[in-house]
Amino acid sequence: MKRWLTRRWPALHWPSIRGRGRTDAGPLLLTAAVIAAVALLAGAAPALLRAAADDAVQDTVRRAGQDSNVSAHADWERDDGPTGGRVRAPRLAGNVDDFRARATYALGPDLDAALLPPVAVVNGPILSITDGTAPRTFQFTYLAGDLGGPAVTWIAGNAPGPTVTGEYVETPYGGPPWPVQVGLSEADATALQLAPGDRIPLSDGRGRDMDVRVSGIYRPADTADPAWRLALSLLRPVPGADGVGTTRFGGLLSRESLPDARLAVDQDQLRRTVHFAPEPDALTWDTAGALASRVVKLKATSGSSADRDESLKWESQLDTALRDARTRISAVLTQAAVLLTGVLTATVLVLLLAAELLVRRRTPALSAARQRGAALPDLGAELLIESAVVSLSAAAVGLALARAAAPGISWIGAVPVVLAGAVAGPAFGTLAAARASRDRRQPANPAARRWIRATGRLRRAAVEAAVLIPAVAAFGALHQRGLLPVASDGDTGELSGDLVLPISALALGALVGALVLLRLLPLGARFALRQALRSRRPLAVFGAARAATTAGRALPLLVLVSTMALASFALILGATVTRGLADGAWSTVGADARLDVGADAEAATPALADRIAAAPGVRQVVVAQVTDSARVFTESTPLTPRLVVVDADAFQRLLATTPLPNAPALARLTAPGPGPGDVPALVRSSDGVLGTGTRLQLTRDDAPAIRLTAVGTAPSVGGADDVVIVDAAALADAGLPAVPNTVWVTGPGAARAVSNSGVAADVVLRADVLRAQRATPLTTGLLRLAWTAAAVLLALGLLGLTLAAAAGASERWQTLTRLRTLGLRPRDARWVAAGELLPPVVVAAVCGPLLGVLLARLMLGPLDLRLLTGQAADPGVVLPWWLLGLVSVALLAAAATVVPVESALRRRDRLSEVLRAGE
Amino acid sequence: MSGEPLLRVRGVHRRFRTGPTVVHALRGVSFDVAAGSMVALVGRSGSGKTTLLNIIGGLDRPDAGTVHVDGTDVTALDEDGLSRLRREKVSYVFQSFGLIPVLSAAENVAAPLRLARVAPAERERRVELLLELIGLADHARQRPTELSGGQQQRVAIARALAASPQLLLADEPTGQLDAETGLSVMALLRGIAEAEGVTVVVSTHDAVMMALADRVIRIHDGHLDEQSAGQPSAPVPDVR
Repeated sequence: MKRWLTRRWPALHWPSIRGRGRTDAGPLLLTAAVIAAVALLAGAAPALLRAAADDAVQDTVRRAGQDSNVSAHADWERDDGPTGGRVRAPRLAGNVDDFRARATYALGPDLDAALLPPVAVVNGPILSITDGTAPRTFQFTYLAGDLGGPAVTWIAGNAPGPTVTGEYVETPYGGPPWPVQVGLSEADATALQLAPGDRIPLSDGRGRDMDVRVSGIYRPADTADPAWRLALSLLRPVPGADGVGTTRFGGLLSRESLPDARLAVDQDQLRRTVHFAPEPDALTWDTAGALASRVVKLKATSGSSADRDESLKWESQLDTALRDARTRISAVLTQAAVLLTGVLTATVLVLLLAAELLVRRRTPALSAARQRGAALPDLGAELLIESAVVSLSAAAVGLALARAAAPGISWIGAVPVVLAGAVAGPAFGTLAAARASRDRRQPANPAARRWIRATGRLRRAAVEAAVLIPAVAAFGALHQRGLLPVASDGDTGELSGDLVLPISALALGALVGALVLLRLLPLGARFALRQALRSRRPLAVFGAARAATTAGRALPLLVLVSTMALASFALILGATVTRGLADGAWSTVGADARLDVGADAEAATPALADRIAAAPGVRQVVVAQVTDSARVFTESTPLTPRLVVVDADAFQRLLATTPLPNAPALARLTAPGPGPGDVPALVRSSDGVLGTGTRLQLTRDDAPAIRLTAVGTAPSVGGADDVVIVDAAALADAGLPAVPNTVWVTGPGAARAVSNSGVAADVVLRADVLRAQRATPLTTGLLRLAWTAAAVLLALGLLGLTLAAAAGASERWQTLTRLRTLGLRPRDARWVAAGELLPPVVVAAVCGPLLGVLLARLMLGPLDLRLLTGQAADPGVVLPWWLLGLVSVALLAAAATVVPVESALRRRDRLSEVLRAGE
Repeated sequence: MSGEPLLRVRGVHRRFRTGPTVVHALRGVSFDVAAGSMVALVGRSGSGKTTLLNIIGGLDRPDAGTVHVDGTDVTALDEDGLSRLRREKVSYVFQSFGLIPVLSAAENVAAPLRLARVAPAERERRVELLLELIGLADHARQRPTELSGGQQQRVAIARALAASPQLLLADEPTGQLDAETGLSVMALLRGIAEAEGVTVVVSTHDAVMMALADRVIRIHDGHLDEQSAGQPSAPVPDVR
């Protein structure tokens, strides 16, 4: 029985362990540096992305604004009195306070902690202002937070007071309108030309006059108070709130006038709602799922709006916003996981190459130890101790640095790297030592030699199948299920196990590509050798012979091709996202700059456009009336698309001269109408409801609706999914002249021109939008990771080239030395060396980026990059050829440096020493 | 066999420094080898055989002393001169064959002829002749991995002789072969040396190999055995 089988522990020879470590300190330190660097990246990246995910959740909720509010409303208890009239409820404001407290309690502690203090809003119906010709509407509103309503200063008159002071008042149904006092903002009062004591000329939906009087005019203490956002008309007139061309005004109720407001309108027309705005800083990626579930549960268990009771009816888009954010974050996390898997795979390959180099250097010593009687388990244990110490300590350093950079690091990513670093060296070393004690002679029997070759081929085929089969499965899974986790309420948002395969698709694809090239390279090298043998140039023959000899070496080509392919993929990913963001900014703004003109200045828009057009550096100016949530009907369905009334020819020219998608269908808007009286329109809808031929009706308050007929597909305007575009002249002919409120401006001077417009307008600059989109946490995080991954992969590729050259140097210079014994001149030896080194490098430099392009074309679709760029569809693959060329040039330049450096180093070696070492 | 020495070695010293230790591999070695003769260089491992062969072939330089091959002072040549010497006058056979694995036997044999820029027709004729001579004409298209160890060493010998050198240095050419194959290779070497008129210096520690040599030079701790330096060996058995 072998001695080592009877021992419990291997017999370690510590001086050998220390000696080997000292002798090969360079390669060991290199291995440690690679492990530390990649452990740093693999450890820090998930933590940084997790932090970015928290920021993204908060950012999403901030951007969603009022849409992310959680609101509850409930009907009032009926105010029928005992004598058949309606009873005034003097403590109605207290009732609202109770309602707010009830809603707050219903939220539950977790959701309550994530929301700001509530604001109760009591709204009256939309009333019509009956004087003047312009369609104007009015709504009175009561606001009440925990500390009362938003603070105001009464600059004229007083706060609204009660109409009556008695405790009990009952008013008959059908009686005269009940008087109610309201306050007006300065802006509203000025626009309506009203003063305290004036009666506002109002009528309700049934045409009955209302008795609403102005008690005073106020100035908000803080216009940024979140409560005002719930009723903007209390600050200033709001154009378009109740339809195209309308303007809404607001009247502020007080605790005292609220009971009168109830009696002033019909029983169910006063609506009370409690709004909870989210507190973005309290939201995290971890809590977002549970909060979204809580909101869904509230909505699911809330009473029906048809129920005439005081039960809470919940409404919110917060769950949708959080779900969208989590979807985007999941997409980015999987995109990052794809990149990191690629980096880890390349690192493992480089570590295997480093281990091969180490073992080649150690083979003589290991062989000698084996021949002296050292047992293989003992040698393996010695090597394992050394590699484990190196790998674990390097990983610890890397993870410690990662922890300093990003608390909450993930160590899982470092595991494959540490394993490769710890196991590869001992495995290769033990095999080398085992070979030393085997009969190395070539069998004289041809059948035995054939058997050896067949065994080798079978082994290789098994390895290739082990890569190919999972790769096919990974790409199948990637295209069938995509990369997003299957969302479910209450999911943790973590990357689940079923994503492992599709996430590995990139790395496996790169490996398969490299394996294919590994099959082809020897064929190419042999072809080149056959050609060289026909030539009279000996250097070509020997260079090609060396190339053919080493073309089958797997690790160098795998490392070079896969790192180049993966680096190229990372660059393409980064470039595609960058271009997608730029396109998204074009889509959002619609030009280099956009002016959203305020209601007060709408009349001045055409003159403003002329002024901007005359400014230096302005190429095009297009004005339009853009109305969000316009009231449009199909035969049976009300729709709220974005209505764009624009000069179709000018708009088409604008689209044709910008990166925005061209829309030739716009020409149909100025063609003769599809039917008598019909206005041609282009339509676009996310749900496919609208299509060519659809007939629509654009409603107006005081006139018959205008008939529209869809004659084509509209381009997306401002990123809206539901759009109706009509030509301004055609609509004016139909009786609705446009009131432009939007100015699109292109040209290098656009930003300056719109900034100095001198009218009340919101300026939206494409550059600002792009900057903001680039600054979003997820975008920043993924782009940084993509560029970092590309740099790391390129560095790994260059390191792989150096290691491959070093690993093969001994054998190469043995051969070159033998050729020199045949008369090869020293200066010619470097050309033969170049002939050996260059083919895999050239293959990697050319085919690596091409493989990266192929992988990008196969993978970027399922990566759902639109979730990152904010576009309606996934961005097209962008190939940054100059960057890809730079990657290739870097590799070729490194190879061109390695050959002369190696040649210069080896020239110092005596031929006799080289030959002796090779014996 | 000519009486003029093809190889003249005079007072060659060679020291190697390994850390603080200095090893005297050769200590004033001097001997002559007549043209066309086959000399066996014999000694234990580490006795200095390979060092002496390397210095003779210009693969290493002595610390002192001279080596003349066909009147050319090898120790005075620069790298280009040494390359020319190896292309034209001196060739080697190594223990580990040193064949290029992707080239066929014939292409391996032709390698020195390519370096010497011999015309293709002449090259092919010479390769054919040599393969015939070593008995591997039928294996001309086979690659080294398809040949046995003995066959590979025969190809290595043919390659060494391809450029018609005057001096062939063989460093333990049978070290990786079994005894029977080794003996046949040595016999081949001997036969070809006679046929081609090549002077052969072969290092070995195999007594049977020594028997094939015209002369045996024993080397011990860097010194030549005084008695062996000028003595012919025992009669050569006919193993061909």
